[in-house]
Amino acid sequence: MSDRSSRLTQSRLSRRQMLGGIAGGVAAGGLLPGILQAKSAPALIQSGGKLTFWGGLIFSDEANKMLTDTVNAWGKANGVQTDVVMINQNETNQKVSAAVESGTMPDALDMGLDLLLLLSASKQLTPVDDLYDKIGAAQGGWHESVDASLAPAKFGGSRNGIPFGAGGNVLFGRKDILDEAGITAMPKTWQELSDDAAKAQKPGVFGMGFALSNVGDGNLQVSVLQSYGGRIADDAGKKCMIKSAQTKTYMEWVKAAWDKKLFPPGATTWDGAGDNTAYLSGQAIFIANTGSVTIKAQEDDPDLAKSTIYSALPAGPVMQVSPIGPNVRAIPKSTKDVARAKALIEHLTQPDFLKEYYKVAIYGPVLKDQDDFEAFNTPVLGGLRDLVLHDTPPGAPDVYNTAYADFSANFVVPKMIQRMVVDGLSIDDAIDEAQKQGDAIYAKYA
Amino acid sequence: MSTLATPETSRPVGLARLSFANRQALSGYLLVLPALLLLLGLVAYPFFFAITISFTDRVVGEAGHWVGLKNFRYLFNQPSFIKTVTNTIVLVVVADIAKLCIGLGLAVLLNQAVPGRGLMRAVVLLPWAMPGFIAFLVWKLLFTPIGGGLNLILTDTGIYTGIIDWLGQKSTALPAVIIATVWRGFPFWAISFLAALQGVPQELYEAAKIDGATAWQRFRHITLPSIRPVILIVTLMSSIWTANSFENVWIMTQGGPSDATMVFPVLAYFGMQTQRLGEAAAVSVAMIPALLILVFFVTWLIKDDD
Repeated sequence: MSDRSSRLTQSRLSRRQMLGGIAGGVAAGGLLPGILQAKSAPALIQSGGKLTFWGGLIFSDEANKMLTDTVNAWGKANGVQTDVVMINQNETNQKVSAAVESGTMPDALDMGLDLLLLLSASKQLTPVDDLYDKIGAAQGGWHESVDASLAPAKFGGSRNGIPFGAGGNVLFGRKDILDEAGITAMPKTWQELSDDAAKAQKPGVFGMGFALSNVGDGNLQVSVLQSYGGRIADDAGKKCMIKSAQTKTYMEWVKAAWDKKLFPPGATTWDGAGDNTAYLSGQAIFIANTGSVTIKAQEDDPDLAKSTIYSALPAGPVMQVSPIGPNVRAIPKSTKDVARAKALIEHLTQPDFLKEYYKVAIYGPVLKDQDDFEAFNTPVLGGLRDLVLHDTPPGAPDVYNTAYADFSANFVVPKMIQRMVVDGLSIDDAIDEAQKQGDAIYAKYA
Repeated sequence: MSTLATPETSRPVGLARLSFANRQALSGYLLVLPALLLLLGLVAYPFFFAITISFTDRVVGEAGHWVGLKNFRYLFNQPSFIKTVTNTIVLVVVADIAKLCIGLGLAVLLNQAVPGRGLMRAVVLLPWAMPGFIAFLVWKLLFTPIGGGLNLILTDTGIYTGIIDWLGQKSTALPAVIIATVWRGFPFWAISFLAALQGVPQELYEAAKIDGATAWQRFRHITLPSIRPVILIVTLMSSIWTANSFENVWIMTQGGPSDATMVFPVLAYFGMQTQRLGEAAAVSVAMIPALLILVFFVTWLIKDDD
């Protein structure tokens, strides 16, 4: 063998080395963080003449279809090619992140207040003050609570979204089971609720169908904690203040309820539909819900729907906390035709459409003229209207800011409860850990 | 000098100036170039980009600034971090061992001339073919405390009549996730091993039989060494996939209860909830060292085999 051919042989990769190399390559690829995978998520390229709208999916097929049809009908009437994509609202944040990074944001989209806050902070949205004022003036004005929730001071000095529905929780109760236990009225306080739950509970049916897991429903516990006088942060919204005597009292209440087995098994790992499923399958006496359970019960179990009664969320020893969360439609900065996007959003606030839409959706009113809509004569949606009229602003009594949103997104309060009931940590240790985590979160935004 | 007398025009130009060996080497490099570019573009660039942004305070839509190790300090101080590391290691190691045992056992079985072998091979692939979302949702339903399949079986057979909250208690949540992960992943191991087994020359077994080797000795000294490179590669790939798997944990427990099933991808997902790309990237980058050690170890073993 010549020197050259010998060198070639030596430098040639063996099959096994090749396999190793490929494996190494795959390994490096596998290490890519989810965020970069998200970056390559299916893109919705905005081509000329097309208007893309991302609607927020809700637990009502009828409402979803009505929204899609209305957008498409508007497009047809105005010579605009529309592309409606209904997005699971639990994934909106991730999809929007990917779309912003890859420059493929839609022309208009639905979102909750948390995302509006984040996108406003990074200046990703087009101010819509003019449209906000125009719609408000045409329909009796915005409800004060909705208006305050979107105060420009919180969102970089402008209105960056047009509210289309107020979300919030109403307390659902099983009248048939409560009657059996001799309970004639819905509880006014959380303590009454746990007492009633303990009294009415029976094998296979659990009193308190509230999520204690790492999902949005788990953050209902933030409101309960606040109603006990606990606070997430100081009045300036700069420093975490969860460690307090009030938080301890709240945790004692949760612990007592847990020890009495009032929470259904699995509540610490429920997904977003956990409380819905528990109630619809007859395993829970009380739940807090926006109304999707009613829609489902009316479709699948009319008897359950009939035996359900509703009330506002109970109060704690210090106050009643029942926040509303306006859902908004916003226009990204990247939108090429802002006027067209605004026209669509304005069209979707037309009373003729919303009168029918609200009947099958899960939202309370955002404009004063909407209060008289027939939809709000039902107990749940009427309850949401009451929330809007007498609400607690988002986050209150805490300051609703990006640190608060981060704190909520990390489910610090549900995790504090999990530490106590799952890991067996003492109340003090669980609170200390939550305080430490809260300190770290708030320090990022100081 | 005579060299100066050589006319310039008579010299070879361009590629012709290269020796045969160099020309061959060059053409080799040119052939490899597309693959190299692909690797650089699709693997190296995002990989190093992720590492870079983990050292910044980048949020969605903004470039961010260099913050050094701030994101890592924040991550390491999180109460869930240690649990995340432990859970990820336990998930990968236990799931890999289980998948190895099940996969190898099935592959050996399916390599025998048994009736219905073709059908069995197809059936074995079903968990792998099923979308992960569906598979883990089904497992979640099986583990549901009230009305879940597993508790119903225990109750109906009288083995245990109480309610076991499989996913809601610390002692059973991670094992439940591991079981579902193993179920979903073992077909890949079985089929890979089966393919490798079919390449083992039958003469070796026949010779060993003649020499009086027992079934175990044939397995130990012929089968295992013959398929060792495949075992190593499959272990490596599966470890990486398992360490990066998101849907198994997210669908079944969202990392709970109390971080009992928290793993790196889910922790990164929580980071993304607030659009803080730097923090989310730091979570992913934090597990690179462990995976790199695994990659180098396995490639070293493969090279050692050579």
